[in-house]
Amino acid sequence: MFARLPLPSQFDRIIMTGALVAGLVMGPILIALIALYMAARISGAEVIFYLAATVILGGALGAVLLSNLVHAALSLIATLMGVAAIYLMLLSEFLALVQILVYGGGVIILVIFGLMLTNAQDDPVVTDGSQKPFAFGVGALIAGLFVTAAILAEWGDAGATLIPFPLFGKRLFGDFGLPIIIVAFLLDIAFTGALVNARRAESAGAEEGAR
Amino acid sequence: MIPIQSFLVLSALLFAIGFYGVLARRSAILILISVELMLAAVAINFIAFATYRDPKAFSGLVFALFVIAVAAAEVGLALGIVLRLFRERRTANVDEANSLKW
Repeated sequence: MFARLPLPSQFDRIIMTGALVAGLVMGPILIALIALYMAARISGAEVIFYLAATVILGGALGAVLLSNLVHAALSLIATLMGVAAIYLMLLSEFLALVQILVYGGGVIILVIFGLMLTNAQDDPVVTDGSQKPFAFGVGALIAGLFVTAAILAEWGDAGATLIPFPLFGKRLFGDFGLPIIIVAFLLDIAFTGALVNARRAESAGAEEGAR
Repeated sequence: MIPIQSFLVLSALLFAIGFYGVLARRSAILILISVELMLAAVAINFIAFATYRDPKAFSGLVFALFVIAVAAAEVGLALGIVLRLFRERRTANVDEANSLKW
């Protein structure tokens, strides 16, 4: 049952492989970025940005392409931490911390628990015609459309502005007070629903008998 | 200084990769992971527009926070449903959950 899951005996191999792949991908990019930085072609901030972008896109590709579910979930962690780094580069440190707390601490744990509890080891093999060519076409279309739009549009040359934390809190709990309450109710209802759904469902007769 | 286009292009690529995952994957949990990627891309866009184009009102920051909260709720609820599905059918493959398919 757990043959394909990364139990401790397999952990060192997985970590070695992951580190090797990450090093092979990141090493040349890091060297190229440092060379460009030395040649004063790009600034230090851009070096960090391109590193974070590489981590995000590499992790995302791993999350959608790896067929082992646990590897895909671990790859998702890299993406989400890279997204937190991007939030920091956008000068919103509060959201970066929330991202790490909620995703690194909550969502990833939930996903990995879901993987273990459903005993899913590999992505199911499609038997009646794969959707992958169609999916690739749609993905390429979306990427091309959005990238073209972002590059062609006239954005002006404003830089990122630091939003002071007290102002953010005032805006969040002042102007957006009602939506915050609604989101609180949403979370409450969602997790109650999840509990009710995931509760070990006895057969109806046994449930009646227990009462 | 990094131009805003860099962030928008990054988020567009991330969104496209997530979209590919949603369409191509068969395991319900991997589809959930792909949806997470798409939501992260949307949040990057929100924050980029808030800090670059709208520093006075910065509604994008608040919406990014809402996106994170709704994503957490979605993951919790969807995993509950996937667990239930697995218990009823012994599978987490979305192709086999087709009772509502006409």
